[in-house]
Parts: sequence; C-alpha cells; structure tokens
Amino acid sequence: MNDTTNNALQRSQGHAASSRQNEQSAQPLTRTPAVDVEENSHGITLWLDMPAVPKEKLEIEVHDDNLRIQGEAVVPSPENLQLKYAEVRESRFTRTFTLAPDLDITRIDANLQDGVLRVTIPRREEARPRRIEVQTG
Amino acid sequence: MKNIYLQTDLFNEFDHLQQQLASLFGGFPSSIRSDRYGSFPKLNVGTTDDAIEIVAFVPGVKSDQLDVSIDKGLLTISGEREALFSKEGGDDSRRYAQERYTGSFRRTIELPTNANPEQVTARCTNGCLTVTIAKQEASKPRAITVQ
Repeated sequence: MNDTTNNALQRSQGHAASSRQNEQSAQPLTRTPAVDVEENSHGITLWLDMPAVPKEKLEIEVHDDNLRIQGEAVVPSPENLQLKYAEVRESRFTRTFTLAPDLDITRIDANLQDGVLRVTIPRREEARPRRIEVQTG
Repeated sequence: MKNIYLQTDLFNEFDHLQQQLASLFGGFPSSIRSDRYGSFPKLNVGTTDDAIEIVAFVPGVKSDQLDVSIDKGLLTISGEREALFSKEGGDDSRRYAQERYTGSFRRTIELPTNANPEQVTARCTNGCLTVTIAKQEASKPRAITVQ
C-alpha cells in the first residue's frame, strides 16, 4: 500500500530540474513551495506554503494525471523601496504532482488560509480500503 | 507599486558566492547576532527615504501566535508554527513529505542606528508579516540650500 502511494503522489522530477534552470536565466524566478502530505482512508491532503499569494493569483489545474499548482506572491511595498537584504527573491511558486488513478480528480478541494494552501483529493469509492470477510466451511 | 522581489543577476551571483564561502570557510566576519541564512521565517529587508521595511514570510502562523518586539535597536520576530497534519492522527493516516517547518521560531534583526523604535507598525496578511519602522527625523534625506 505504502509503495503505491509513494509513487502515486511524488514530486515531478522533470519540473524540479526545469525550475533550477529558470533560476539561472528566465524571469520572474520560480521556487518550489514546501509541502506536507498526509493520506488516510478517505484521500490525500497536501499543505503548501505559499506566503503572500492572493487567491486571485493562485492557479490549480489537473492535466494528464498531473496536478499543477502555481501562484504569484504579491507584497505591497512603497514606491521608492530599495532592497537591502533578501532571502526571498522569487515571486512565483510552482509545483507539480503526479496523481494516481485511485484518486478522484473530479472532487479536488482547495482552501487558502494565512498563506498556506490546503488541497484535498479524495480516493474513488471503489478504491477505498475495505475488509474482506473470510468464509469458512 | 514596486515589487519587494527586486532582483538583478549581480545580486544572485553575489549571494551564491557568499553562501558558498560561508559554508566552506565558516563565513565572512558577520554580525554577531546573525542567524543562519534563510532559516524560518525568511526575511526581506528594504528601506525607503523615511522608513525601514521588514517582510517576514510566516505562512500558517496566526497573528496572535506572532510576537514582534523591539529592544535597544534589536527587532525580534518570534512565534510558534503548528503542524497542520490532522490532530487525531489515527491508525490509517500516513505521512509522506514533511517539508514545512514546525515548532517555535525566533529571528533577530539589528536595526540601523537611524531607526526610530517609537514608530513601528506591523501587519500580517496572507502569511506575510510586514514591519515598518520609521527613520529618525534627522536621518531623512533633505535638500540643503546653498548660501
């Protein structure tokens, strides 16, 4: 069980490589948001850190079994601000996950609160774990 | 409106170099109170003619769990970030990636001497804490009339 889900919801390696390339050249720079992933019998829940991303700048799409989450951070700052020290320069977040066929992509739910995006993906009814009675005799 | 994520290639190169040196040789002489670069929460600091703007990225931290204090030119941002995993846990729940920082945090920033600790405002929206500290009147740029 564990193995299948690990494969099912993994960070897309191809994406990670491309975002590193972006850091070198293209602008605006993107970064991969930190994620927590939990699964129970009902489905999978993800929490992603996306500080300063307003709801309007958030994009979640499912395409070819890929769940892609993108967002753009907006920090209102005064006109003549000069940046003196920065640990965060990338304003865009992107992260892609591969979805397993046992997940119900039609009922994905997303909620943004205090800069954390929670995405819940239920499992299909028929894919939920169930106990099988053993007959005797 | 200008974005806080102002960047140039020069900046990037310099940061990269500095980080490499820091990890190889234990770093340049730096502030005695400096934190590890990029520890939670990440910080950006900028200045305008009349204020110092500090942005701390604190996603998932409620404003009542955030503590911002100023003591003799030191600004400290501290608080607690709770794990969001379901509290009950349960036998059937399994955790995979756990990349998000949890627990208590504290970051200290040495303010320049021209900061006015009497005039500080802080606001938190979308997991982004902005602290604005006014500069002392005397340090603001002003035109000098030539006699």
